[in-house]
Amino acid sequence: MSGSTRPLYRLLLTFLLASAAVAHAQANEEPAPDFALRTMDNQNLRLSEFRGEVVMLNFWASWCGECRQSIPALTDLYAKYHRAGLVLLSINVDDDMNRATDLVRGLKMSFPVLFDNRKEVSKLYKVDAMPLTLLIDREGVVRYSHNGYRLGDEEQFLERLRTLLKE
Amino acid sequence: MSRYTMIRTIWMALVLSLAGLASAFAQDAAAPTPPASGDFKSLDSDVQTLKKEVIDLNRDLFVLEEELLFPANTQVAVFVSVDVGTYFALDTVTLKIDNKEVTNYLYTQREAEALLKGGVQRLYIGNLKAGDHELVAFFTGKGPHVRDYRRGATLTFNKGVGAKYLELKVSDKAVKEQPEFLVKEWE
Repeated sequence: MSGSTRPLYRLLLTFLLASAAVAHAQANEEPAPDFALRTMDNQNLRLSEFRGEVVMLNFWASWCGECRQSIPALTDLYAKYHRAGLVLLSINVDDDMNRATDLVRGLKMSFPVLFDNRKEVSKLYKVDAMPLTLLIDREGVVRYSHNGYRLGDEEQFLERLRTLLKE
Repeated sequence: MSRYTMIRTIWMALVLSLAGLASAFAQDAAAPTPPASGDFKSLDSDVQTLKKEVIDLNRDLFVLEEELLFPANTQVAVFVSVDVGTYFALDTVTLKIDNKEVTNYLYTQREAEALLKGGVQRLYIGNLKAGDHELVAFFTGKGPHVRDYRRGATLTFNKGVGAKYLELKVSDKAVKEQPEFLVKEWE
């Protein structure tokens, strides 16, 4: 292959991968499975009761470094978009609830923190890496899913979130 | 392969993948031709009819699915009701049938309020073979003086040929100022 055609092949490959990604994202748009969990404040919350709002689910654990790193960004996002209709449900999967409670207090998390100590909800959402962030639209459909966290990922959340809030 | 042929192949591949993407979005992109103003009324009634048909179809499908998944001869359904509720605020019900946990239901504030207003919730539907079975229900919540409260109720029942309906009933025992938990068989 000549040197001048190599960039064209790269372009083609990128384009094809991008089209595959779009197709994959569309295929993943499934109704969010319903669940009820207890919050740190001893309240029971059920996902289906937030139908009509844009819901962000965030699965995390206190032993996960990336999760701890993502929490300040999520706190900022929630502080800014809560009034616009964002509901953020932070689901902790720790075995020891006390560790999670300490971290929640230390990081001053202002959104509801739910405990999935039976791990039923994590199984329902097939959580295989953490943190897992999902965006659910007003119709209760999972529109965005993101595994892991790196600095700057909140820009992606923000972009998707703004689209959903406008719908 | 000459350079020209190679470039032509790439362009063809690009066009083909664009066509594929276009077909994926075709449903969204295809906007219906706007009807004339006089047609709006009939269009609206058509939409309403269609909506009604969809709702009817959904209901039929739901009934059919239940009949297939839980045939009447093996069906067992458990319902929950709350009467008065002065001495007990429901938080969770754990249901065991033949010593196997079949459901653990957490009640939100809204759900608990709906039960207090007279709502009856179908907590569980499943299949059981004919014969004797044991049902154990554990209720947790806030009891008298807002104290944590946990009580159990047990019933041994015989499952016959037809469907079996059971009700878990929470009521107040005013004399003792305590809640009462009953399991009732529907005839």
